[in-house]
Amino acid sequence: MIDFSFRSGLTLRIPSPSPGPPEKAEVITEEAGLRASAGRAPRVSLDVEEGALVPQGATVARLRKSPDVCFVAPMPARVARIGLLQGHRLSEIVLFHEAGGDFIRHDTSQACTAPGLRRLMQTAGVWQWLGRRPFGGMPKPDDQPGAIFVMATDTTPLAPDPRRAIAGQEEAFGRGLHALTTLTDGPVFVCQQPGPALFDGAQSGGRLRTVNSGPRHPQGAPGLRVHAHFPATIARSVWDIHAEDVAQLGTLIETGYLPMRRLVSVGGAALREGRLVRTQPGADLRGLTHRIVQPGPHIVLSGSRLDGHAARWLAPRHRQVTVLPRPAAGKPPHWLVAALTRSAMPKPVIPNAALDQAFGAALPAAAFVRALGSGDDDSAMKMGLLSLLEEDVALADYVLGGDAQLPEILRAMLDRIRTEFAA
Amino acid sequence: MTRGIWTRETVVLMLLAAYLPLALFWLWYGGTEAVQRLGLAALVLAFWNLAFLLARAQPISLAMAVTALAIAMLAPEGLGMFHLILGISFGAVAGELVFGGWGRNVVSPATVALSFLGFGFSGYPWPEFLAPVAWAAIPAALIGVAMGAMPAALVASAVVAAVAAVASGLLPPPALPAAGVVLVLLVADPVTSATTLLGRWLNGALYVGLVTLFALGWHGAAPVQYAVAAALLTSLAAPVLDEMALALWYAKRRRRHGQN
Repeated sequence: MIDFSFRSGLTLRIPSPSPGPPEKAEVITEEAGLRASAGRAPRVSLDVEEGALVPQGATVARLRKSPDVCFVAPMPARVARIGLLQGHRLSEIVLFHEAGGDFIRHDTSQACTAPGLRRLMQTAGVWQWLGRRPFGGMPKPDDQPGAIFVMATDTTPLAPDPRRAIAGQEEAFGRGLHALTTLTDGPVFVCQQPGPALFDGAQSGGRLRTVNSGPRHPQGAPGLRVHAHFPATIARSVWDIHAEDVAQLGTLIETGYLPMRRLVSVGGAALREGRLVRTQPGADLRGLTHRIVQPGPHIVLSGSRLDGHAARWLAPRHRQVTVLPRPAAGKPPHWLVAALTRSAMPKPVIPNAALDQAFGAALPAAAFVRALGSGDDDSAMKMGLLSLLEEDVALADYVLGGDAQLPEILRAMLDRIRTEFAA
Repeated sequence: MTRGIWTRETVVLMLLAAYLPLALFWLWYGGTEAVQRLGLAALVLAFWNLAFLLARAQPISLAMAVTALAIAMLAPEGLGMFHLILGISFGAVAGELVFGGWGRNVVSPATVALSFLGFGFSGYPWPEFLAPVAWAAIPAALIGVAMGAMPAALVASAVVAAVAAVASGLLPPPALPAAGVVLVLLVADPVTSATTLLGRWLNGALYVGLVTLFALGWHGAAPVQYAVAAALLTSLAAPVLDEMALALWYAKRRRRHGQN
């Protein structure tokens, strides 16, 4: 039987100059910022003061409620500024690069046991790179996932190819994968584009599984893979992690040093040339786009055109920088035109073929969007809401022209469900 | 910033593009009278849309052009102006505007208006379509499906069911032109038809099934009359078809993934 869902999805043409010659493969920006993912400001306690020198991998701050989960320095650096919001909530910690600084070696003697590995991932800073479904955010320190999804495919427009990111690190990737199997009793899925095998699954007891997905977005979105193969529920969470981070976890387990580098693509319409660089997590986005931006006002997004947000520092789980021209603030529309087009309620979504494709034919798109729009929590949960996050519906929101405000509605619904079930 | 284009008004524009061949042929052969009917329907719909814009801040949608075309093409002939205005007003207000405008309605306003006119003022002759106008329904359906504004599965299942019905001798071929035009104008409306894949297949088949049933058993009814009645019943049944398809999908997922 022909699998139509494999071909489903959309090919977006996001304008961007082609990447220039990779003359400088590794770019360490002079500044870097430690921050949480968008929309979160966790309570932290600090380990260092402003002006202190920290080696790469040293703990800078840790979560107040679970002190094992650390925010670590992505490079040898001097702590320049600590920005905290009210209640010791982390806003950002700015670090200045100190060339020739030291590296921290983590103790890996306990990494073969599940609690030891968990602790190593938390203290070394790998924990932030994990995503959790339902509800999003990083997992709780004692969370037991039902399954782990390793994303070795990324179909977001302009995203760097994960196969290229882990090229040459296959052994470390395999070691990281086998380590992940100790964290869960369930399966570990490796989502990839069809191609050569990425790992040797011989000694995993059948718990390492390969999932092939199609080339179009959103086939490679973690939420839709989770939805298709191991739906998350309230009682059974599912984690996802990028393949490159798994390879780095493998290196960490072997050597004790966590290589804080990730392959990041810089693209967007306001650039003179694109770029594909290895840089540190939390890199300064202006440092990455320096000298390749076209003159004129522009916006720098951490993340893709679909789900990115304007930021100064690269978010913990992002691998893309998008630079867009800032639209000139035009004249406000005539009052009559404004009155005719502005509505009290958001405009309804008309089911169409593009909407069906924007969910990769994985769920009844129009019914799901209608359930979201009308606040029908039960139907949305039955259709797979708990497996999805904002980034998974970003494509549908983009396709619908932003009228429907799907990510905001989805977040509000997830928050409501979380408070209901926590009570 | 750039954005995707599939807002409500884009879908309406795509639908209008699809109906363009149908409308042009109908106007060409209908002459002044057709233009007058279309103008009257558009005027009445514009008035009610404006009233709801002022009273309830409901933004106006170009979808009223689609509704006007459907009513003008399918309404019984010889109705007085007062009857037409009454029917169109009822369809627009009770079928669409009280629900919050196009996109939130359950039944297409044109279907409501036509049923109201047909059942309320029976005895007036229903229109019959010349061959060129009926043939123009085919490019209309093709454009609508290609643009993604009309559900492809629905049109495909209706065509398959119609071919089967004609081949088996159940559906008399003279019913086909009216059934085709009504399929394009009323049944393939993306808002009021089923939204799941299986639901759409059932939806198209149900429409043709009802047309066949009426053609066989409803003596004295014109083809357009029973096609409109079939369209009304089909769009009322569309949510049920969707629920059936969803229930099946839930069951399949539960079997595969356990409780969720």
